[in-house]
Amino acid sequence: MITTESRPTAAASEALVRAFFDAYRRQDVDTMTDLCSDNADFSYVPYEVWGKQRVLRGDGKVKTVGKTIWTGLVNSFPDLTNTVHTVDANDAGDVVVTCDIGGTQQLAWGLAEPRGKGFSEPHLFVFHVDDAGEIDRISAYWDGAGINRQLGHLEVD
Amino acid sequence: MKLFTRRAARPEEEEEQEPMTTATTTTMTPARTVTAFLTAFGQGDVATALSVVDESVRVNLYATGLRGAGKAELGQFLVDTATAFPDLRLTVRRTIEAGPVVTVELKFEGTQAADYLGAINQEKHLDVDQAWRFTVEGDRIAGVDAYWCQNQLYRRLAVKRLDQISLV
Repeated sequence: MITTESRPTAAASEALVRAFFDAYRRQDVDTMTDLCSDNADFSYVPYEVWGKQRVLRGDGKVKTVGKTIWTGLVNSFPDLTNTVHTVDANDAGDVVVTCDIGGTQQLAWGLAEPRGKGFSEPHLFVFHVDDAGEIDRISAYWDGAGINRQLGHLEVD
Repeated sequence: MKLFTRRAARPEEEEEQEPMTTATTTTMTPARTVTAFLTAFGQGDVATALSVVDESVRVNLYATGLRGAGKAELGQFLVDTATAFPDLRLTVRRTIEAGPVVTVELKFEGTQAADYLGAINQEKHLDVDQAWRFTVEGDRIAGVDAYWCQNQLYRRLAVKRLDQISLV
């Protein structure tokens, strides 16, 4: 019996994730989401907006929460870009990326009013690529205080 | 209905216990080296944690502003953290090994008992999700990059402004 291994190799997973960041650099949110499975999980861990009665978090699905956040970021930071530093992948579909993301604020973002200031902040992304060769999980970590300081927003909330 | 059979333990057949609390392992993989570091850190045992860290380690703790630092600065951070949170708990959610690079997603929890990163002690409970990326060479950690949101940390410690960390 002949069997075929369907799981993408580490190299294939890395190429997929690099394509994701290329699309992000072009601000092509549709392509970013198209590289993800329909039910891909999304978690922007530091994304946390505390209101009087509820807390908004950056957790959910790529094609709902993720796409909304990416679109909002591009609107608020029209020159939003990224520089990828390292990509480490394994044959289990895991891909870890370190990069800098930055841009100049033109519209309000969260509680930060636009002051025309820019930011560049180190980020770490953790992706998982499924057997179909699509991203099925994205988690990201960064220091929101570092971004807020650069934007001139000094209130914690 | 019998669900399982309990077998008398025989010393020669007992599985070797994987050491989780010390750095003295027999076969150190990158993931085991990192586990030894984090387990010791979680127990406040800074000396054991540092025993698996190379002397020439390069450390970036972005939220603290510490970049390109060395073993001494990492050790001081671990001491400060263990002192400020004597009930520190690190809960690992995911460990990813990709060659010499090990990335750990974890939850950092504890109750503040001393000033920490400029925030005065108000005995607040802290829980912050973090990601630590380690580069391991041989059986030593040669690179540490830690990511967490200082805004979340300060919010939980009741800090109001980034330019007045010590005021409440």
